[in-house]
Order: sequence, then C-alpha cells, then structure tokens
Amino acid sequence: MMERTTLARTTSIWIIAILLLFILSVVLGIIMRLSQGGVISQSPVVFYSQMTTHGFTMIGIWFVAGMVGVNYLMQRYVSAPVKSNIFALLFTIIGVVLLWVTTFVGKFHTGWTFLYPLPFKIAWAGWATPLFFVSLTILGVGWLVWSVSLLMAIFKKYSITRALAWQHFGKNPSFETPPFILITVITLIGVITCLLAAVLLIVLFFAEYFSSGTFVNDPLLMKNLTYFFGHTIANEMLYLGLATLYELFPEVSGRPKWKTTWYVALAWNCTLVFILTAFFHHMYMDFVQPESFQIVGQVASYLASLPAAVVTVFSVLTLIYRNSIRWSLTNVLYFMGVAGWVIGGLGAVIDATITNNLVLHNTLWVPAHFHTYNAMGNVLFSLAFFNWAANRFAGIGESGGANRLKIALLLVGGTGFLLMFYLGGAYSIPRRFNIYPMEFSLAASFARIAAVFAAVYLAAVLIFFWDILRKCLKLLTYSR
Amino acid sequence: MILLLWAPKLYALTPVYNLDEETNIYQPVADIRVTTEEGGIYLSEIYSGRPIILTLVYTRCAGVCNPLLMRLKENIELIDPKREFTILVLSFDPLDTLEDMQGMAKRFTLDEDPRWEFAVSREIDKLNRSIGFNPVRAGAKRQFDHEALLIGINRNGLITKKLIGLRNEAALGAMIVEINDVFVPSYPLPDNKRSFSCFNYDPATGKNSPGWGLLVLSLPATLTLLLVLVIGINSNHEHH
Repeated sequence: MMERTTLARTTSIWIIAILLLFILSVVLGIIMRLSQGGVISQSPVVFYSQMTTHGFTMIGIWFVAGMVGVNYLMQRYVSAPVKSNIFALLFTIIGVVLLWVTTFVGKFHTGWTFLYPLPFKIAWAGWATPLFFVSLTILGVGWLVWSVSLLMAIFKKYSITRALAWQHFGKNPSFETPPFILITVITLIGVITCLLAAVLLIVLFFAEYFSSGTFVNDPLLMKNLTYFFGHTIANEMLYLGLATLYELFPEVSGRPKWKTTWYVALAWNCTLVFILTAFFHHMYMDFVQPESFQIVGQVASYLASLPAAVVTVFSVLTLIYRNSIRWSLTNVLYFMGVAGWVIGGLGAVIDATITNNLVLHNTLWVPAHFHTYNAMGNVLFSLAFFNWAANRFAGIGESGGANRLKIALLLVGGTGFLLMFYLGGAYSIPRRFNIYPMEFSLAASFARIAAVFAAVYLAAVLIFFWDILRKCLKLLTYSR
Repeated sequence: MILLLWAPKLYALTPVYNLDEETNIYQPVADIRVTTEEGGIYLSEIYSGRPIILTLVYTRCAGVCNPLLMRLKENIELIDPKREFTILVLSFDPLDTLEDMQGMAKRFTLDEDPRWEFAVSREIDKLNRSIGFNPVRAGAKRQFDHEALLIGINRNGLITKKLIGLRNEAALGAMIVEINDVFVPSYPLPDNKRSFSCFNYDPATGKNSPGWGLLVLSLPATLTLLLVLVIGINSNHEHH
C-alpha cells in the first residue's frame, strides 16, 4: 500500500514536470514559427538553440510520459518498480537542466539529432559540447535503468515466451497474456535496444573528442547509430502510449477488457522485429549505404507500422461500433490520438517510400508527419492517461463543459498547425530554415498561420495543465 | 642511424608550398584585372559568364608548367565540349609579357581555341594570396619552386575546387561539375584513424566490403537479446 502511494505521488510529480516542460517547449515552437514568419527577428544561433531544445525536450518528455503511464498501470499485474522510477525522475531532472544550460547558456545548436560531426564543429561555447554529451549520458543511464527494472518486474511473473504471448500462436492457449503486458514487453525491448545504441553513440563521440585526432569516427556508422536511437525511440514512445490505451480504453468506455488473440500477438511480435530496422529509411540520401539496406528500410517501414496500426484501429472500431459507450475525456482523447497516429503514420509511410522521399526529403512534410503522430497522437494518449490518473488521485469526476472546450481547442489548434506543415511539404518548402528566402513565397505566411493555430493548441494545453495540476497537488499535499 | 643521417636531406625534400587542396575552398578569388589578347578585363567579368579553370604558369619554367599544360590540354580534349568553362592560363612571373604568353599558347596550338585564354596581370600577388598559391624563387636562373595547381572558380567567384599535381580526366571532370555548382557526393575513404567503417571501399576495384562498423551497428540488438535472455532465465516466475 505504501509502495502504491509512493508510486502515485511520483507519477503525479512526473505529470506536473512533463506538462510544464511541454508548455515551455510549445512556446519555443511558436516563437520559432513566428521567427520563420518574419513576425519577430532573432539570430540564427538563437533559433537553432531553440530548435535543439524544442526537439530534444519533446522527445524526452513524451518518452518518459509513456514510461510513467506504463509503470503506473503495471501494478495491476506485477509488483511495479518504484525506486528505479524515482531514480529516473532525478536523473531526468538533472539531465534536462544540463541540456537546457548547454543550449540556452552555451548556445549549443546542432538540432536534436546532433548528427556527426556537427557537435565537433564548435560554433558555441567550447564546454557546451562535452556538457551536452554528459547530459545525454545522465538521461540515458536513468532511462536504461528504469526500462530494465520494468522488464525485470514483468519477467518475475511472466516467462519470456508468455510475456511475448507466443503461446497464442498455438490452439487453445492455457494461459492468456494481457495485451498491456505484451505491448509493454515488446516496447521495452525496443527501448532498451535504442538506448544501448545511444550509449554506443555517446562512447564513440567521447572517444573522438578525447583522442586528440588519433581516432576518427565513420560518418555512416554515426548516422546509422543516431537514427537507430532517434527514430526508434520516437516510435517506441508511441507504443508505450498504446499500451495504456489497450489497458484503459475499454475500461473507461464501460466495455469488457480486450484479450490477446493470435493475430494481436503476431502483429506486436512483428512490430518488435521491424521497428528495429525501419530507421534505415533515414539513410536514403547516403549514397554509400548499399541499396539493399535502403530496400530493407522501406519494407521495414511498411511492416513496422501496418500490423500494430491495423490491429489497434480494428480493436478500437469494433469496440465503439454499435455499442453503448460511456464517453469521457479520457476515451475521447484516446480515440482522437488513434486518428492522429494513423494520419501521421500514413504521412510517414508516404515519406518512407524511396521514390517519394526523393521529393519530400528534408521538406516540411517531415515535421508535418512526426508532429501529427506526436502532437495529435502520442501527446493525446499521454494526456488521456494523465487525465485518468489525476481524476483517480483526486477522487473527483470530470467537468463536461470545460472538456468540450479542451477538445475543440486541441482539434482546431492541432489541425490548423499541422495543415500548414503539410502544405509547406506539398510546396517543397525546406525544413530547418530559420528564415525563408524569397523563392518560397508562401513559407512565411504558412509559418505565421501555424503560430496562431499553435497558440490555440497551447490554450488547450494550459487548461489541461491547470485542471491536472489541481488534482495532482491534492494528492501531493494530502498528509497520510 | 642511416635514417638519422638522411633526415636533413628528407627535410630538404619537403616542399616549401602547401599541398592541401582544402585551403581557401569556398573563399572568394581576388577580382584582379588581367590582360588577354582582347585587352584588359576583370576576373569577375570572365567568371560571371562562364566558370573558370585557372592555372598558374610562367613561360621560362623548366619544371612542371609544360607537363601541366600538356596534361590539361589532353584531358580537356576528352571532356564533353558542351560543358561550360573557360581555361585561364595566367603567368605568375612579373617578367612575362602578353607576347610571351601568346607564344606559349601557339606552342601548345591553343591560340585558336576559344575556351583557352592566356593572360598576364600586374596584380598577381593579390590573386596568389586569395588562392593560397605561394611560388618561391629558386636559384639564379629565374626559376620558381611551385606546385602544379588548377583552381576551379564558379560563377560567384568562389573557389570550389583545387587540384594539385598532374591529374587525370576524372579529377578534371569533377572540377568542371563543381564549378558549375552541381552537387558532388563525397565520403571519406577508410584510413588508419577510422577503425569502425561500415563498409570498406576499394578504389582499385570500386567494390564495397562489410567493415567493423556493421558489427558495431548490430551490437545494441545483440546486447539486448542477451540481456533479455539473462533476465528472463534468472527470474522467478510466479505462473498462474
């Protein structure tokens, strides 16, 4: 019981911290779009420092948001780890503070992918490069320990084969693996793999940094490792959100729990394999990467997204079709999140098709699709969990009127903001430009309109934050 | 011991000029005035029309100038005539006159070729500084110690490529592509410092073979598999 209370309190601290960082990062995003739109003027160094902070913080917070949800819900099945959760919280706070110091004080501005050899092309304070890697190391260690401890907690109760639901491939399985456990295990294995890729990457960066020129990295290996980590973690965090959806969506809708079937088990096991090779699609422009790898990248991109998406969409639609559903903010957010995930996923698959990538590569189509499955997908999954958890912590219900307002603002703000990215992609406007040359006549207008819609989205997030903050503080200030 | 005795000689053989082809790349070339058969003209007037392949020679050269021009002429004949460029052969010796340069053009039978321009300039030092060319007077016979150098200048007056030494048609072709601002993919070749290349390219055969880098790339998945097996096997399962 004591453990459960500590877990709830830690979860509520996570939720407050994540939402605070989210608000700050959205503000940075709006400032960048205003800058691209020519409404405000800022130096390229300031712009790219903001872009680096924005990208890294968003990836980090929505990854830990998924982990927080999974860790909290895991106590329904196994003894959920608490110490490693607190350890990860402390390491995340230290890591994020150091990261923001490197970008805002040190002006480190390589972008969140810190693609080799950019970190060594010092255009900022000299100390910012090693400090950046120190902050990454701290974040990586915290998250790796957390992920391994979650996996260990599951394996204490479920054998490897049962955790992966392999018994469902046979007839009449004697034991049922809950979908939540299956998806969590599949995702954690992927998370550990990509975090180990990050560890290798940081070791190689440090090796070159301290070698005084005697050791030089291979740019292709570094780029492969970067996207092995970066692409994979960006996808795995979505699956963490999906794990909470599988657990909570039927429950809050007043419907029976989903069961693991052979096709659910097969889809998620396929996802484990293919998600780890889909990152090759980031190397389409690297002519030294053999063509066979590029083909693997395209095929894996299709196979990684389709099984999980088809099974999830099918499950969600069959649950709501001609059924009496108890709609609440939580399941509306989950439902909208699935739509955002699918739309963004389709955009991603279009871009991952080699012939399309020749046109869309490094255009605004790229931020369009990943903002779709994040801002209108994964973020909504996590907001749904936050809302559900906050209500539970406070022991109070949801207010109907404010919920409609939140949903409306999220939908209008999110859709308008994303549409400007998609239109930008369709017009071949390049991404990562701090100002647009005259040749891209519509780019600045798109950026200005996007900033307005993003502000509407931010308004929704602020209402969410206020509502969830009040509820979480109730738990934190409650004396036992 | 023998090496030690040889050391001063080896030092003396070290060229006095820089053999680095990256120096001054993407820097603007000095917009000097040169004199050609048609009269005085600024470099910018030439490169704004067509990009330039600039080579620096002198007519009394007893060294590399003649082989350099001969090789350049042979290679240019192999290049697609539709490609746009001007070859500017400029004397860096203040003693050379325009007539000397025209005589050189005749000797190489290039005086009638519209792509070739032979010229002199009074501002040669300014140009040399901007391109990183440092000829050194050597001996009493008015000779210079200098590298065989080709400079590629694009239509914006930027040095986009340098070639040092007598180079083949492929290298010249790459220079012509670069001065026309066409993207040229490049990738560092494996060397002793680069231990973990994903692929080892053999320039002689043009073939790629897998390198240690691929093994490094597979490490995260391999380590995770081992970790999952170790945790899974050592855990106490409380099966239902």
